[in-house]
Amino acid sequence: MLLTLLFLATVTAQPAPAPQAKPAAPPPAKAADVETCLACHSDRTMAVTLPSGETRSLYVDLETFRSSVHGTKIGCTDCHQDMMTVPHEARPFKSLREFTVAYYEQCKRCHFDNYTKTLDSVHYQATARGDRMAPVCVDCHGAHDVKPPQKPKSQMSTTCAKCHEGVFTVYKKSVHGRFLEQTNDVPGCTDCHRSHDVAGPRNIAWQRRTPELCRTCHENKTLMDKYNLSTAVAQTYVADFHGMTASLHETDPNRTVSVVALCTDCHGVHDIAKVNEPGSRVLRANLVKTCAQCHPGVSDNFPGAWMSHYEPSWKKAPLVYGVQLFYNILIPFMIGGLVLQMLLHFWRVVVNR
Amino acid sequence: MTTYLIRFSLRQRVEHTLVMSFFLILSVTGLPQKYFDASWARWLINFMGGIDHIRQFHRFAGVSFTLLTAWHLMFAMGAVAAGRSPLSIVPNRQDFDDAIQMMRYYLGRTDQAAKFGRFDYRQKFEYWGLVLGAVVVISTGLILYFPILFTRFFPGELIPAAKVAHSNEGLMAFLVVILWHIYNAHLNPDVFPFDKTIFTGKISLERMHHEHPLELERIKQVRDIEET
Repeated sequence: MLLTLLFLATVTAQPAPAPQAKPAAPPPAKAADVETCLACHSDRTMAVTLPSGETRSLYVDLETFRSSVHGTKIGCTDCHQDMMTVPHEARPFKSLREFTVAYYEQCKRCHFDNYTKTLDSVHYQATARGDRMAPVCVDCHGAHDVKPPQKPKSQMSTTCAKCHEGVFTVYKKSVHGRFLEQTNDVPGCTDCHRSHDVAGPRNIAWQRRTPELCRTCHENKTLMDKYNLSTAVAQTYVADFHGMTASLHETDPNRTVSVVALCTDCHGVHDIAKVNEPGSRVLRANLVKTCAQCHPGVSDNFPGAWMSHYEPSWKKAPLVYGVQLFYNILIPFMIGGLVLQMLLHFWRVVVNR
Repeated sequence: MTTYLIRFSLRQRVEHTLVMSFFLILSVTGLPQKYFDASWARWLINFMGGIDHIRQFHRFAGVSFTLLTAWHLMFAMGAVAAGRSPLSIVPNRQDFDDAIQMMRYYLGRTDQAAKFGRFDYRQKFEYWGLVLGAVVVISTGLILYFPILFTRFFPGELIPAAKVAHSNEGLMAFLVVILWHIYNAHLNPDVFPFDKTIFTGKISLERMHHEHPLELERIKQVRDIEET
């Protein structure tokens, strides 16, 4: 009887996602499902010991589940499909990790697009290599307690920090990381690395897109005005040697590697600093060292060859501006004069005939 | 019976062919670098094997052009020093007078076209324009080739300034050649479709009479020339 009810409950639960159902009043069918399971699983002492010696609590806190994103939308057996019979069949899991990994594919039944994205990720590459510690859905999102990932935004990054603690510590001190808790304006981990299809740091295609990544914010006028930052950084980069080469390598169909300074090569990656703070790599005092990463043995004058993202003007780079102005006047004057001379000559020749 | 004169020596003809080839290579590999953001430039760059290849071609042609220029100037200076050069390419007062007279002639203010010697003022202008332009592109090109070396002695701003000068000078040279030189050597009704003198070295007496009468007279004083 109980089982029939449960079965009916699961089937009838599938269609008709009640539009804007009040969170306080979950669909009764789901409630039935959850209640059925919780008849046993509300027991706090319920646990199972795995062959690895690890203990897995089988207690489910109703309030935690109810307040999760799934709390009012799906029931226990939507994910735990293999738990339809009571008592449940014996499970072959030897360790906790084995159990978690086994549930990896459950999420794709609803979240198929995000699941397929994970197949392109560096995390999945590790899973495919047989690395059982590589994260699967629930490692980041949680299981019974799945929360909206971006509320607050900093949660995304603190989630990554669970494994990537070293990088996160460096990032937290950076000009972006320092303000992670205060504002949504600064990029967190996933803004650059992506989330489901997260790219590995040695993924060349993704590395080459670095200027594009930085541009998404640093060319956004509203955002940059708020912090009194220039939006010409990408454009001035592309106008110079490094940016020109990088942009041409990007459209070169025959090229797989590109050795040229990208934004992060000068500004740093996770430790990116405000340009004028003492530790900044692009501070005039540190610039020779920064250039020397690629151009060993350069003199103190060498960094001056880079106009620091400025457009040439009388104030900044007067020599460059002067030369440009000279040619802006000379070329039209020269070409205009020659064309006039040609036309006069031609006209005279025609008239003479 | 003489129907033509030898106007250019073999050395001059070879120099012209070389400078023409280098100029073409330098333009084709240089201009797409100046306008790399344009779609035609991107296409051309990818077509020629990518930016790194193009830079190598450009430097190779640039070094060749530098050697040719050095050779030409050394030869010319040697000839001047030995007193063997008639200095006929050096601009003088007469060229300004000629230019003004030709302007008046074109505008119909006088019926008398100026009479030219071995080189007319336009040819002198083009020659010295090339020499001067060569000095600019070669020096700035070397700065761009060896920025680390140059910034040991000069401020860093020299590098972007050299880039601006190099690319603009190159553009101007390209435009002058495309418009002015192509007109004078090809489209000019007097020589259309092709003035072959710089390749064969020969010029007809008729053209000498028409274009360089003073030079013809000078030659007649030292050599016996029968005109047909």
